Amino acid sequence: MLRLTNLSKSFGKAGVFEVNLQLEPGEVMAVLGASGSGKTTLLNLVAGLLTPDSGHIFLGPEEVTYQPPEQRRLAYVFQDHALWPHLSAVEHLLLVMKKPQREAAYQLLRRVGLDGLEERKPHQLSGGQKQRVALARALAARPRLLLLDEPYSALDPVLREELRLEVVSLLRAEGVSALHVTHDPDEALAVSDRVAVMDMGRIVQVDTPTHVYTRPQTLSAAKAFGRLNLLPVQVEKGRVQVNGQAWEVEGIEGPGLLAFRYEDLRPDPHGVPAKVLAIYIGRGERLCRVDLGLGEALVRLEAKPGEQVRLVPSGRLRVFERTG
Amino acid sequence: MSFPRYVATAFWLLSSLGVALPLLVLAWRGLGNIRTLPGVLDLAGVSLLLALVGSLLCLVVGGGLAWLAFRARLHPGWDVLLLPAYLVPPFVGALGFLYALQLLGLRPYGVGGILLAWTAHYAPIAYLLLRPTLESKLAPLLVACEVHGVTGWRRIKALLPPLFPALAAAFGALYLSLLGNFGVPAVLGLPAQVYTLPTLAYTRLFSPASPDPLGEAAAIGLLLGLLATPALLLFSQPSGEPSPRSLRPRLVWAARIGLVLFALAAVVFPLTGLLQRALFNTFTGAFQPAFATAWELPLVRQGLTNSVLLALLATGLLLLMGLLLAPQPRAMRRLRQVLDLHYLLPGTLLALGLILLLAPTPLYATPWILLLAYLLNFAALMLRSIEAGLEAGIERLVGVGRLFGLRHERAWWKIGFPLLQPYLAAGVFLVLPLCLAELTLSAMLYAPGSETLGVAVLSALNGGLFREAAAIGLILMALSLLLLAVPRRGVV
Repeated sequence: MLRLTNLSKSFGKAGVFEVNLQLEPGEVMAVLGASGSGKTTLLNLVAGLLTPDSGHIFLGPEEVTYQPPEQRRLAYVFQDHALWPHLSAVEHLLLVMKKPQREAAYQLLRRVGLDGLEERKPHQLSGGQKQRVALARALAARPRLLLLDEPYSALDPVLREELRLEVVSLLRAEGVSALHVTHDPDEALAVSDRVAVMDMGRIVQVDTPTHVYTRPQTLSAAKAFGRLNLLPVQVEKGRVQVNGQAWEVEGIEGPGLLAFRYEDLRPDPHGVPAKVLAIYIGRGERLCRVDLGLGEALVRLEAKPGEQVRLVPSGRLRVFERTG
Repeated sequence: MSFPRYVATAFWLLSSLGVALPLLVLAWRGLGNIRTLPGVLDLAGVSLLLALVGSLLCLVVGGGLAWLAFRARLHPGWDVLLLPAYLVPPFVGALGFLYALQLLGLRPYGVGGILLAWTAHYAPIAYLLLRPTLESKLAPLLVACEVHGVTGWRRIKALLPPLFPALAAAFGALYLSLLGNFGVPAVLGLPAQVYTLPTLAYTRLFSPASPDPLGEAAAIGLLLGLLATPALLLFSQPSGEPSPRSLRPRLVWAARIGLVLFALAAVVFPLTGLLQRALFNTFTGAFQPAFATAWELPLVRQGLTNSVLLALLATGLLLLMGLLLAPQPRAMRRLRQVLDLHYLLPGTLLALGLILLLAPTPLYATPWILLLAYLLNFAALMLRSIEAGLEAGIERLVGVGRLFGLRHERAWWKIGFPLLQPYLAAGVFLVLPLCLAELTLSAMLYAPGSETLGVAVLSALNGGLFREAAAIGLILMALSLLLLAVPRRGVV
């Protein structure tokens, strides 16, 4: 559906560099990365709002690299909605429909939950309702590809969760391919078939959300999902010494950073001794800050402050180079 | 560089050159007569000093009122007390002060009168420029000072430096306006032989005693341009979105009284002077309105017809130009930057440049040269108004339309132009009254048959028809005050 080959756009140090990416028909892909990692630049290149310095963009079999935006048959859902203030909800849809049909527009508005609000203008709608209009407008355009740029970041947490689940089921029902930019790992996990992790303008890993979370290939891919402990270690023959025990690891040899999630260590009577320094009650889980000897780490654990526990890794942990 | 871009660059260079041509011709002719300048250097000094002192006065009064209104958290509705002084044409205000000061038995002519009329007219500009900056830049800093107990001299040290750029920009804008202002020194300076550079250029141009009136005027124009140019570097629109801050209102009554006093001094006082002169016989004191006698003057009728026609035509053409250029925002911005020269620099320079450029053509001494002058002078204002709309998000929303597959023309037709309507209206209501009450350009460019209303007032005044001048001044004042009903958007 979408194919990017060696796509680059430089703004000095920032920008997008040598990006290769392929999106299958009907697939929803999340582009995950920190602020300034090049996500929105990538989206704007695909949309035709920016012209690349080099590389190619294909939509289906057609190369669109230098096509103006209006010829690409795309739709865009913006973070700030970008609704037209002088048009009502239904007029937004009618303006972008190839064959404007009022009944079809009404039906689509009903599907996104705007029944009875069809004639309202943006200033008469709430934040969530505006985002629904933006989404209905995007679907009404019957795009080849839907681009979403942090579409829920301005909404409150409850509405955000509700809307993103609704939208993803709507996209799947319509079979629309979508490229969804976000910096929120939960959002990437919830909405996408695959995740592309971006760091400093480059794609560092593309895989299913579960794989990127459990098997990150680079330090920045590991960092993208958060919930990460990083401890400096020395790897010798595939092992690191932790409080007198050797843990088998994968990755590099020599000095590096041992990376593991909060749930990657579990209690075991034969494990490494560790002291619980403090506890934090997170979202539906209890996290303990423990001293592992080579540093402190957060671990999902049922324990009390001051308690001595013994911990082992659930699987083989990974060590990355310190530069990431 | 690709060929089309090369062509576009050449086109822009040529059109910029064309727009700037009057100023270039003026500079050339002025340089040729530079030997006449030593004789007027003392007058240039007076002009410079007056503009500097006047700007400072306006900044102190307008800035002080802005500070009070900001501290008192006054509702923007209170601005209505300041706007009339700004909307009334400066020479009408000067006329009002002339009569009002005479009523009190004070000497209105000379430096004092000029500074008074300038402060009344231009202090609101300082207020309008500085109030949004105070809200956006100062409010958060002041909250931080209050929360952390920073008071006295330390508070001034924390608050004043961030305001310097805005103060400098406001000072630059005021200095340019005052240095180039013709109407006030023409009404309150010329009779007392107090000259500023614009009035000096005007008198030299019409002086029968001068061997080369145009050359001398051009040299004075060049000097005026040289004095004005440094301020162009200072001049920039201070921007900033007012952000609501929970500041406690202070000095509320001081602010209210300050604004009311300003309105009384800057509007009601000159209005009283005009009313008294226009409505009552100067010698008998009997109620005898001068409107009918003013209307019977052929010059007034001619001036009114010309001013209305020129104002409508110039505004209509500028509106059309704005509509045609809006869909090419980058081109429009570039053109506006060149046209800014004619808007920001004293109008005297444009008038002299056009005389030099067009004197050998049939356009000279016709209303058409005035139309051209109005177009060049006020185009930047109309384009700024449209630009304000485009920058407020309209350009982006048109881009969104294109992203959804709308062709360029359709996107502008369905999204851009409908959203631009209020900004276009603001542009029209800014340009129309300025054209209607224009004096600087028309005083230098008019010919028998192409007099404007401003010229009619000045001629009535010079001809001793003080009551008739007051009557026309009142009409112009009333027309200008109609603008209070128009919402202001994006442009000062």
